[in-house]
Formats: sequence, C-alpha cells, structure tokens
Amino acid sequence: MSVPILKQGPNLIASIQSALSDEDLIRLRDNLAAQVGQYRSKGVVVDVSPLDVMDSFAIRTLRDIAHTTKLRGAHTIVVGIQPEVAFAMVQLGLALEGVATALDLEEALSTLGALPGAA
Amino acid sequence: MATLVNGQVRVESQLDATLLQAMGMTEEELAHRKEFLQFDQPDEQNLASISDLAESYADPVIDAFYRHLLSHPESRRFFEDSRVLEHVKRMQRRYFLRLTQGHYDMAYVQDRLNIGAVHERIGLPIKTYLGAYAFYLRLVAQRLSEAFQAKPERAMEIFLSLKKLVYLDMGLAIDTYMFSRERTIGLQQEAIRELSTPVLQVRDRLLILPIIGVIDSSRARQLTVQLLQAIRVNRAKVVVIDITGVAAVDSRVANHLVQTVEATRLMGATSIVTGLSSEVAQTLVTLGVDLGKVFTVGDLQGGIEEAERLLGFRVVADDSGPA
Repeated sequence: MSVPILKQGPNLIASIQSALSDEDLIRLRDNLAAQVGQYRSKGVVVDVSPLDVMDSFAIRTLRDIAHTTKLRGAHTIVVGIQPEVAFAMVQLGLALEGVATALDLEEALSTLGALPGAA
Repeated sequence: MATLVNGQVRVESQLDATLLQAMGMTEEELAHRKEFLQFDQPDEQNLASISDLAESYADPVIDAFYRHLLSHPESRRFFEDSRVLEHVKRMQRRYFLRLTQGHYDMAYVQDRLNIGAVHERIGLPIKTYLGAYAFYLRLVAQRLSEAFQAKPERAMEIFLSLKKLVYLDMGLAIDTYMFSRERTIGLQQEAIRELSTPVLQVRDRLLILPIIGVIDSSRARQLTVQLLQAIRVNRAKVVVIDITGVAAVDSRVANHLVQTVEATRLMGATSIVTGLSSEVAQTLVTLGVDLGKVFTVGDLQGGIEEAERLLGFRVVADDSGPA
C-alpha cells in the first residue's frame, strides 16, 4: 500500500491511509526526498492520523524523512499523532527529537504558510 | 449471616461465589494450605470421630462462649440486640458442628470466607476474633480431656487435628479482612485519582491541567492520556501544566513531567509548566534533573499570560470598568 503524495502550492502532503510495511515506509521516504527537489517544495506534511500503532522503524523513518527533506530545503511537519501513540512513543524514548509536529493538516499548513519565504 | 444495621437484623445472602474468585481461592490454593498445615486424611478421621461428641457438647460450649463474649465490653457491643444474639448463636452452632463434619472442600472455604466477610463488615477487630477463638479452643480442650479421660493421648491427637483446621479457618478469615481493606483502599485511590485530574479549557485552544497530590507512574499515565485526549478534542495549541499542588517533586516525578510534555509536543501542542516552588527548583537542580526541554514559568498567572502571547491573545484593561 503506497502513500499518495499530493502537491499543494509550495507544499507536499503525504497522507498515510493505513498501516504501512517497512518497504512502504522506505518508498515514502525516497519519494518525498525526490519530489521535494522535483517540485522545489518548501514544506512537507506527513499525516499519520489513521495509525493507531507505530513501531520503532516507522518512527525512525519519520525522523529520517524530516532530516532528509531539511537537507533538501523543505520543512517537515508530522501531524495527527494519536494520543495513545504519542504516549507509547514517549515511553519508548522515541519522541521524534527535532521534528516539528502539529495537531492536524490545517494547523500544519498555517504554520508552513507563516514561515519566512512562504508564498 | 446476620449483621446489625440501623437496629435491624439484616440477613445476608448466602454464599458469595465472587468473593472466592476475587481472592484467588482455588482448589490448588486450598490443597496448598492444607499441605502446609499438614492437615490430611488422619486429621479428617480424627475430627469425624468426635462428630457425635461435638453434637452433645455444642450447646454448653456455645453458651459459655457467649457468656464470655458478653462479659467484655469490646465484644458485648456486637450483641446488644437479643435477636442478633439468638441468630448468631444459631450460626455459631452450625459453624461449630461444621468443624467435625468432614468434607473440607471449596464449599467449606466459601462458608468460612463469608463468615470472615461478615466479621469485617460489622467491624469486629481481629484481636477480638482471635481472642474469642482462643477461648473457644480452651473450652473444647476441656471437653475433650473430660471425654477421653482414659486415653489422654487420643484427646491430644484429636485436639491437634482440630487446631490445624482452626488455623486454616483463621487464615481464611484474616484473608477476608485484608482483602476487604485492600479493596476499599483501591476504590478510594481510584476515586481520588478521578477527582484530581481535571483538564480545563480557559481560552480557545488553551488548556490548563492543575495537578494536585502525588504523581506515581499510573497516575502520570492516566493524566497524560487524559490531557492528550483533551488536546485532540479541544484542538488545543497550548497547555499550561500547574504543579503547585504536587506534594513532592523528585527525579521520578520530573521524568513523568518531561514525558507528558514530550507527548503533548507530539500532538502538536506547546506545554508550559508552572508552579515550581523555590524548594522544588532547588531539589531538581541538586538532583541534576534536566528540564531543559520543558518550558517553565514561575506561576500559573505567568503561564497563562505566556500562553496567551503564544496564541496571539492580548488582554487589555477596560477603562470604563470599575476602578
């Protein structure tokens, strides 16, 4: 199950629909890294709200996405982390250090819109 | 079973099977206890052999027993109503005879647990229970030595068997006491927890979590989950966590706080922790707890003002208001 990546103005929106395998996650990371360059995007939003479980690989991949896109010039925001997932992540000590988060897509887009250099 | 409630005799429903289950009393557990007491076949036979004898001296023993109980104020107060006394005597007779009737199985255990539960409910202290039992055993010992005057060693044998069974009974009764108290404590803890963690919305997208009392792992978990859900429901952007009312803050509590703050960040909210007293702040520094990731403001007022600033609110005094 691959993740659709939508282009919205200067931003890319990756909307995860269901539980993902490790391969899907790697493909998502690669696609985002490629498309950020291709569309010269300024922001990336990854919506994880349908996930009620996240394993350490998924969390690490999210962090990798944020850091990779950063190197390619785009700011990544992870949105929609469920309360139970957030608590589990903190307990596991995988708290997405250095990655921006927001409640939902709307919130993330307004944050990206307020960044310097946003269209 | 009968207890005195508001001056009326209330007859309790018989066997409470859930009690047995909740206390983890199983066939294996019973076998375990018997084995530890070394209560086995010969003991059962010994007890069965005095079944008729017990029947014959049950009434005088029980009468003497209650004379003893009524002569002491600490036990007398449980039998002030004569109807209760009559009922209890009948129950006591049944209890007494049951000791020598064999079949010390789960039904027996249940019966004994129920008796313990009644004692606990009427507030009979354990010391009174044990004291009464000691008196009871002494009466029985006298009767036995009279009955077996020719064979004192036989009397001793039977008495020892009885003693094992009585200790089994006492163990069960005391377990019910402990179980009831633990259950009460558990219920109270739950009630206190629920009472003390309200998540309040003070402005659009601004929540306050005043924490009062003691933070342990289970409470930290519960209040974090509650806060995260409130963030979701209220679409909160800023949360002010006030710990003025937290009794003691050590590295464990601080760690819970850091986890709560990180979890709220994952939900996209900013947390402000307020109410760290000077003692608490000094303790944390002395302990070397790293609260670098936590946004702290001195008091709740400052926290709310900071939160309003983050949210873009500006509070302006109204000149037309009361001076």
